[in-house]
Amino acid sequence: MNLNRSFFVPVNSPLHNLNPLTKLALVFSMILPAFLSLPQLAPFLAIPILIAVFIGRVQKQYFNLLLKLVLPTILFMFVMQSLFLPGGETVILNLGIFDVTRESMQSAFYTVSRIFVMISSFAILLLTTHPSELMSDLTRRGLPGQFAYVIISTLQILPQMQAKAQTIIAAQRSRGLDTESSFRKRIGSLVPLVGPLVFGSLVEVEERAIAIEARGFTSKRVKTSLHEIPDPAFDKILRGILVILVIASFTLNLWLS
Amino acid sequence: MAFVTLHNVTYQYPLTQSPALQEINLKINEGEFLAVVGPNGAGKSTLCYALAGFVPHFFKGELTGEITVDGKKSSEATLDEWVMNVGLAFQNPFNQISGAKFTVFEELAFGLENIGIPREEMKVRVEEAMALTGIRELADRSPYSLSGGQQQRVALTSILVMKPKLLVLDEPTSQMDPIGTREVFSVVRKMAEEGMTVVMVEHKVEWIANFADRVMALKDGRMVLEGKPNEVLTSDMLAENGFGISRYTSTAREAKKRGLWKKENLPVTLDEAVEGFAK
Amino acid sequence: MEVISQNAVYFAVVAVIMILLFAWAYFTKRIQKDFITMTWVLIPVAIAINLTIGQIVLVLKLPVYLDSIGTVLVGVICGPWAGALTGALSNIIAGIILDPGWFPWFPVAAAIGATAGVMANIGYFKNWWKVVVTGFVIAIVATVVGTPISIAIFGGISASGSSIITAFLLETGRSLVGAVLTTNFIAEPLDKIATSLLAFAIIDGLSARYLSRFPRGENAAVEKGQKQTQMIIALVVVVLLILFGIFILPSLTAG
Repeated sequence: MNLNRSFFVPVNSPLHNLNPLTKLALVFSMILPAFLSLPQLAPFLAIPILIAVFIGRVQKQYFNLLLKLVLPTILFMFVMQSLFLPGGETVILNLGIFDVTRESMQSAFYTVSRIFVMISSFAILLLTTHPSELMSDLTRRGLPGQFAYVIISTLQILPQMQAKAQTIIAAQRSRGLDTESSFRKRIGSLVPLVGPLVFGSLVEVEERAIAIEARGFTSKRVKTSLHEIPDPAFDKILRGILVILVIASFTLNLWLS
Repeated sequence: MAFVTLHNVTYQYPLTQSPALQEINLKINEGEFLAVVGPNGAGKSTLCYALAGFVPHFFKGELTGEITVDGKKSSEATLDEWVMNVGLAFQNPFNQISGAKFTVFEELAFGLENIGIPREEMKVRVEEAMALTGIRELADRSPYSLSGGQQQRVALTSILVMKPKLLVLDEPTSQMDPIGTREVFSVVRKMAEEGMTVVMVEHKVEWIANFADRVMALKDGRMVLEGKPNEVLTSDMLAENGFGISRYTSTAREAKKRGLWKKENLPVTLDEAVEGFAK
Repeated sequence: MEVISQNAVYFAVVAVIMILLFAWAYFTKRIQKDFITMTWVLIPVAIAINLTIGQIVLVLKLPVYLDSIGTVLVGVICGPWAGALTGALSNIIAGIILDPGWFPWFPVAAAIGATAGVMANIGYFKNWWKVVVTGFVIAIVATVVGTPISIAIFGGISASGSSIITAFLLETGRSLVGAVLTTNFIAEPLDKIATSLLAFAIIDGLSARYLSRFPRGENAAVEKGQKQTQMIIALVVVVLLILFGIFILPSLTAG
C-alpha cells in the first residue's frame, strides 16, 4: 500500500514551473494520438516521454515507478496478448492449442506501447505537479471548488484509512488469521475488519459538513485563491501548439487510412 | 437593543420524540461574553447550532420562536449568508479540519477563499490570527499531523480569521492542557473587549468565573438560571441538579455547613477560596 | 482498426446520452438538490472506502474486487449523479496515488454509481432480494460499458486473471467482442451483487436520523420483513442469475 499522499517530487525544473494546465495539455497531446491515431505512432511517443522525464528531473522516481508498477503490468499483458490473440500467419512458437504469431506479437506490442504512453504521461504530470497546485489552477479556470475539495480531501483521508486498515490487518494476523486460511474464514474475517473502519469514517461526515459550511463552503461569492499560479504567455503559446499537433495527428491518420 | 435575541425558541430535531430546546428567552449585548453550562444532553450544542444557523437550516426539524442577530432574523436568512456574521467552532477538532488543504496556513485561508477575500488581505488576516492564538510555528505543518489541542487551536483560529460578529464556541478547550485553556480564554476575552459577541459552552467553571461576563445554565432544553458568573456557578440549584461545579465551591459549601466559611458568597476559583478561608 | 472505429461510434452515443441526461437533470434542478454539502463531504469518504476495502480484499485473496462499495452507497443515498461522480473520481484518484492503470476504467465506475442511484430511486434498494437484483443490473451495465474500454485500450486482454477466460473463448472461435463480453459477464455478477449487499449492510447499520441528512436518504429506508425468507429468496435469485450467465449468455454471443 502506498501511504504517500502523492507522487509529487519537490525539485525545481522547467517542467515543474510550467502551468498545470499546460502539463495537462501535454498529457493529452500524448494520449489522444497514441490511442486514436495510427498504432505505429505509439512506440515513437516514448521518445518525448523520456525527454520529459529528464527535463523534469524526476528520472529516479519515474524509473522506480516504471520498474515496480508499469513494467510488470505491461510485460504480463504482452505475454498474454501474444499468446492468446487469434489470427496471424507466421507462427513463431506453438504451445498446444495456442500459437504465438508475428502478427499477434506486433499487435500486442502496439497495445502495450499505448498503455505505456498513457501511464507514463500521467505519471510525469503527477511527479512534477503538486495536487493542490493543479486543483487551484483548475478551480481558477472555472472547475467548481467542490471538485478540488473532493480530490484533495480524498488524498488526505485515504492514507489515514489505509493506515487504520493495516493496523487492523496486523492485529487480525497476530490473532492467528492467515491470508492463506480457508475461504470461509477469510470472508468471515472481512466483516470485523471493515465494519468499525467504515462506520467510524461515515459518522465523521456530518460534523465535517457543518465545519466547512461554517467557513463559507456554500458561499455564493466569487472564490479567491491563496496561491497565485503563474500562466505566462509561453504556456499559452505552448498549449496552442499542442492543440494544433493533436489535430495534425488526426488529419494524418485520416489521410493515410 | 440587544445584539442577539432569542425569543421563545423551541426546537425539535427530526425523528425525535421531545424538543431539544424549550422556550428559550435570551438577550446578549454586543461585546458580551456569555458562558453556557449544563449537564450532558441539556441542549447546549443545539443552542450553539441554533445561534450559528445550523438549526434549523442544516438539521431541518421544526423551530418556533425567533432568533435575531444584529437585527437579522435567522428564519429569513439562508445558511451561507448567516455564517458571514456568526462563526462556529465545536468540540471535536479532528472533524473540523476541512481536508481541503495540506498545511495549517492554507487551512486557515480556506474560509477566506470561500468568501472571496483578496489574496493580500487574506495573508495578512491569517498571519494576524495565527499570532493571536499562538500557532505561528504550526503554519507549514499538515493539520492532520497535529495533537488534539493544537488541532483545537487551529479550529478556533480558522473561525476567528473570518472575523464573525458573533462567535459561538462549543467546548473549544476540551482537549487542551491548563496553559492552552488559559490562552483560549484570554483570546476570547480580548475578542469580546474588541466588540465581538461570544457565546461559549464550557465545563471548566473556574475559567468561566474568571473570564465570562454572564452565565446561563441549561437543563433538559430549558434555561434554568442566568446571571453573574459567581451567583450562577455557586447556586445550590446547580449542585442539586447534576451540573459540573467547582471543587472550591463544594468544599466551601461543606465548610459553610460546619461554620468554617464565614462569607456570604461561595467561591468558584482557587483565589476566592483562599481569600475566603483566610478571613 | 475496424474495432476501434466501432468503439468511437459507441463512445459518441454514450457521450450524447450522458450529456442529454445531464442537461435534463441540470435544468430540472434535481442535480443541485443532490449536491449539498453532506454529499460533497461523503464522496471523499466513499472513495476512501472503495479503495481501502479493495486493497484489503486483495490482501485476503478473495475472488472479488469489492472496490465500489462506497460508489454504490453514494448512488443510493445521494442520487445517480453523485454516484457517477464518486465512481469516476474514485478511479481518477486511484490513478493518481495507486496505479495510473485505473484511469481508463473510470466510465465503468461512473456507470456503477449511476445505476445504483437509478435502481434505488425506483425502490430497488430496500430489502435483500431487491438489492441482489440491483447488483445484477449493475453487473450488466458494468459489462456493457467495460467491454469497449477493454477492447479499445487493452486490446481485449488485460493483465487481470479473468483474461484467461477471454483467451479460451477466443480460441474456441468467438469474436473478440463476444469473448470479452462473455468474460465480463461471468466475472462481474458475483462481485457486483456482493458489493451491493455490503453497501446495503452498511446502510442498514446507519441510523435513520443520519440517513435523513442526505438528499435521497429515503431511498435507503429498509423495508420491514422476515429477513430469513428474504435471504433465501436472495440466494435463489443469485443462483438463478449465475446459471443464466453461464448457460444462456455464451450461446447468445456465440459466432
